[in-house]
Amino acid sequence: MTSADDHLKTLFAHHEPPARDPAFATAVMERMARRRCLQDLGLLAGISSVGGAALWGLWPVVQPVLTALSGQLAPTAVALTVALSAVAILTGQFPWRTGEAA
Amino acid sequence: MKLEGVDEALVAAAQAGSTEAFSRLVDRHQQAVRAFLRRACGDWALADDLAQESFLTAWDRIGRLKAGASVRAWLCGIAYRKHLTARRSAVRSRIREQAYEAERPACDGGRPEDRLALEAAMAELPADQRACVALCLAADFSHAEAAEALALPLGTVKSHVTRGRARLLSMLGVEDDVR
Repeated sequence: MTSADDHLKTLFAHHEPPARDPAFATAVMERMARRRCLQDLGLLAGISSVGGAALWGLWPVVQPVLTALSGQLAPTAVALTVALSAVAILTGQFPWRTGEAA
Repeated sequence: MKLEGVDEALVAAAQAGSTEAFSRLVDRHQQAVRAFLRRACGDWALADDLAQESFLTAWDRIGRLKAGASVRAWLCGIAYRKHLTARRSAVRSRIREQAYEAERPACDGGRPEDRLALEAAMAELPADQRACVALCLAADFSHAEAAEALALPLGTVKSHVTRGRARLLSMLGVEDDVR
C-alpha cells in the first residue's frame, strides 16, 4: 500500500460507524417486528374477509344444518374456540407460523 | 471458530427462522454496510435509513443466500441496489440529515477541510465508480468481492477503482506515488 492510499484510508476512516451499535441493531429488529405485525394483521383481515364472504354466500345452505346441530354441538364448539384462542394468545404460537422460531 | 464459520452458522439459523441469529448478523455487519452506504451516497442519515431497509430486505431474502457465500458482499450488494433506487427516486427529506449531523459526535478522520474535500471529490465520481472506490479502497474488499456485490464484471471493477483512485488523488491534490 502506498502513502497516497494510506492518506485516502485516513480520510475515509471518518465515514466508519462504530463496530458495535446496539441502537442500530435494535432499530432494525423493531422495524422487522412492526412489519411482521402488519403482515399478521393483513393476513388475519384477509382470512376474516374471505371467511365472512364464504359464510354469507353459503348461509342459506349452512343455516338449516347449523340449526339442526346447534343443540348438540354448541357447547363443544364454544369450548374448543375458547381453548384455541387461549393457547394462541398465551403462547404466541399461531398455526400459520409453524416454520419460525423465536 | 473462524469469522466466516460464525457467519455460516448464523445464516443457517436465520434461514431456519431465528430472528436472534439475524440480529447478530445485523450487529456484525452493520458497520460495513453503513460505511459503504455513507461513502456511496454521501448523505449519512439517508445512508443509515437505507442500511436499515437493506437489512429488512436481507431478512426477506435470507433463504436465497447460498452456503459459503460472503455475507458482507451479499449485504453490500443489497445496499447498493437500495442506494441506486433511492438515487433514482431522489425524494428524501434533508431535515433528518441536518438533525443527525448536529447530534453526531466529532470524529477523528483528519482535518475537517480534508474530509469535506474527500466528500466533494467522491460526489464528482459516477455512482458505480464511487461504489467500487468505497468498497475496494475504503473497505478492503477484493476486486472479486466487489464485483460480486455490485454485480459488475471484474474488469470493470478494476478499471473503476484505478480511475476513481486517480481522480480522487488528483482532486485532493495528493501526489500518486504508484507512478
